Amino acid sequence: MSQRRNRLAAAPLIAVLGLVALAGPAGASGESVGGCMAEHLAEAVEENHGDLEHTLHDEGVQDDLEKCFEAPNPILPETNEIIWGGLSFGLLFFFMAKKGFPAVKGAMDARAERIAGDLDAAEQAKIDARAVEADYQARLGDAKGEASRLIDEARGAAEQLKADLSARAETDIADMRERAAADIESARQQAIADLRAEVAGIALGAAERVVQSSLDAEVQGRLIDAYIDEVAGSNG
Amino acid sequence: MADPRVDAYADALFAVAVAEGNLATVEDELFQFSQALGSNDDLRATLADGAVPAARRQQVVEDLLDGRASATTSALVSMVVAAGRAADLPAIVAAVVERGAASRNRAVATVRSAIDLSADQRSRLEAAIHTSTGREVEVKVVIDPSVLGGAVTEIGDDIIDGSVRRRLNQLRESFR
Repeated sequence: MSQRRNRLAAAPLIAVLGLVALAGPAGASGESVGGCMAEHLAEAVEENHGDLEHTLHDEGVQDDLEKCFEAPNPILPETNEIIWGGLSFGLLFFFMAKKGFPAVKGAMDARAERIAGDLDAAEQAKIDARAVEADYQARLGDAKGEASRLIDEARGAAEQLKADLSARAETDIADMRERAAADIESARQQAIADLRAEVAGIALGAAERVVQSSLDAEVQGRLIDAYIDEVAGSNG
Repeated sequence: MADPRVDAYADALFAVAVAEGNLATVEDELFQFSQALGSNDDLRATLADGAVPAARRQQVVEDLLDGRASATTSALVSMVVAAGRAADLPAIVAAVVERGAASRNRAVATVRSAIDLSADQRSRLEAAIHTSTGREVEVKVVIDPSVLGGAVTEIGDDIIDGSVRRRLNQLRESFR
């Protein structure tokens, strides 16, 4: 890349150097009217061996001086300018063809290649993006399916839990009912036993009082006699 | 397990009664006094109270037994009370009675009854017990109103319960 950039920079530099080197000779054809007249006049004086009067009256010299007032061709440049211009153009064309054009072409090719690469990369990125999107869509579909499955499982578990809780509640209620019935029965039995004991206590208390009041000495004596007979009749 | 002191006092009282030649009388009087002591809390507390001087306690014993018991019995009870063993007196008397019965080759049959038994009833009961158990016994009657009627006989670990109280208890159990 840097070599290509150096070539691009060298081409205009060579062109400028050519123009500077060839500028001097090209500018010589554009001399002024006074200069032209002075040059012709000097040459004429020299040819007439310094006789200025004679020179000024010489018709040839006057014609030459008249020519200095003639305007140059507006289209055709000076011959030396054509030569120097042609040489400069040729030289510049040569350097441009040898150095500048390949550099520019290389840069353009590189740029085109880079753009093509970028386009390929963009295309690849697009393809990748589509693949990612497809993968995402697939995963989204899987996730939706998984979510649906999880929801179904959760619903099933909830139903099962509900059924279990209901069954357990029914069992607990049955147990509680059974325990309550047992407690009631136990309390009833206890109440009956308490009542029976209380009635027995009352009845026995009354019986004891009756017995005590009826046990006079004669009865006590008979009871002792009966006891003696009982002991005698018992067998160890 | 018998208390060695109870046995020692019982041996002493038994020896004195034998020496005095009125063992049967002393046994019976000691037994009666022991029953009276067991049924009278105040008397038992007074005679067992160490804070009461021994002479005072002996005086109480002599006042109680004067004219009601022999001099031997009175002296023996007074001696036990003065020694501060009034609380052990029922056990000592029981041991003396057992020794006396044993000396006559008999066992003691403690009969609890609401009334005292006549001599005829005692002899018939001794004969009945002999018939029933084959053991010769001497009946010692303890008046116990809680028996209500009939009697309860204890011979060692054997009990023959023919009391009205037992029948009432059986009736109470049948109500349950």
